[in-house]
Amino acid sequence: MVKLMGAVLILFSASMVGWQIGKYYANRPVQLRALLVALQMLETEIVFGMTPLQRAFVKVGHRVSEEVGKVFLLAAEFLQTEKAHSAEEALQQAMNRLWAQTALRKQEREVLESLGQVLGSSDREDQQKHLRLAVTHLRGLEEEARAEQEKYEKMYKSLGFLGGLLVVILMF
Amino acid sequence: MNEILAILPATLRTILTALPIAVRENLEEIRLRQNQPLEVRFGQQSSYVTPSGQITSIPAQGWLFSAEEAAKLLNQVSQHSLYALEEELKRGYITVVGGHRIGIAGKVVLDKGEVKGIRDVTSFNIRIAREKKGAAKKVMPYLFEDGKLLNTLLISPPQCGKTTLLRDMARTISYGSEWSSSRKVGIVDERSELAGCLQGVPQRDVGPRTDVLDACPKAAGMMMMIRSMSPDVLIVDEVGRAEDGDAVWEAIHAGVAVICSAHGASVKEVAERPMLGKLIRYGAFSRYIVLSRAKGVGTIQAIYDQSMNLVEREKVSWSS
Repeated sequence: MVKLMGAVLILFSASMVGWQIGKYYANRPVQLRALLVALQMLETEIVFGMTPLQRAFVKVGHRVSEEVGKVFLLAAEFLQTEKAHSAEEALQQAMNRLWAQTALRKQEREVLESLGQVLGSSDREDQQKHLRLAVTHLRGLEEEARAEQEKYEKMYKSLGFLGGLLVVILMF
Repeated sequence: MNEILAILPATLRTILTALPIAVRENLEEIRLRQNQPLEVRFGQQSSYVTPSGQITSIPAQGWLFSAEEAAKLLNQVSQHSLYALEEELKRGYITVVGGHRIGIAGKVVLDKGEVKGIRDVTSFNIRIAREKKGAAKKVMPYLFEDGKLLNTLLISPPQCGKTTLLRDMARTISYGSEWSSSRKVGIVDERSELAGCLQGVPQRDVGPRTDVLDACPKAAGMMMMIRSMSPDVLIVDEVGRAEDGDAVWEAIHAGVAVICSAHGASVKEVAERPMLGKLIRYGAFSRYIVLSRAKGVGTIQAIYDQSMNLVEREKVSWSS
């Protein structure tokens, strides 16, 4: 009886682990999409609205999904409270604190970091160029992420379950 | 002063807060040039400032304004959003909360031969705006005849309180005073100096019945005002171009009183200038107020009437 309960437990936890890893692969393209939308909104705010960066961050942060939005909101807060002395610093600090909570990777972070270096420090035309460049980069990453999702999401989910099953079979 | 401090980077803020109180109270300009010591102008003097906030005349002892600080200052002043200041960069100054002005210089970027903006900003001139309420008191009685506001030309060399006086006249007329009831005032503020507008809202007190066209070319602005805002009096700073003259002429004949200013040391000097000379010859103005620094900023040197006679106080007719 105890053995049976143990077997069920192992099977369950192994599937959960597999499912978690699979979910990470599923989340990344979704959040990448949100980041893309965020940058496009930022472009509108900057190029057409001439909204000061801090306000633009707040606006964008509220309008995209939570995980990604939080980064912009925190960066805006850093600018507001003068904890950061430039847009670059603000984004950097916000990412330091929140990046681990997102499904995004180092490549996406690098794109945002290099964007941060120029954000707010040139005229509108130039800002637009840099924002578009970042968006193009992210698009490439998004495609890659989708391909990975197709490849790995199902695989990890079933791998978890099957791995659990293997242990259970070996147990008996 | 506190408004200015709030927008400065922390290092600079600390130094300026440590300035002797006599200097702080009279601060007129804070001048920052990349790789040069910090300079302040107060009263009629200027001097460098040491890192501990003491004033000094030796440049080497002054606090050095580094490239990094310059970038920080520009960031802070623009709220990290240079793109929102394109127009301001084209004009060469930024107006901030409180109507203070930050003049900038650096590498100018051209586009088809026209100034597109300033890149690599290396010089800052923070001009602290001071409101001298009551500056117009001395001239107000001269501006009326039978209760009618007279067209007035304010003549003054630079830095003699011309803009301050003009602003105070606008305010006094707008609020109403013992010499006249309140009137609708239209200000065409091409250089954002009179009302110091930030996002269209005057940062200076220009009175409750005052409309301001901010950053608008004077000639076009005057016509817009007459057409749409029906002012009783139009106030314009520094007329000088030919089209300004036409607009003044037009306004005067549209039944709107005009008070404007021009650079110059005397009526004679101003009359030599082509456009103003023409206006003066045709008798467009009924009062000429000449300013100087003889007894400090804002000294009223003389007031003349249409035919260039000195106006005596007794001859002034008081309106009810």
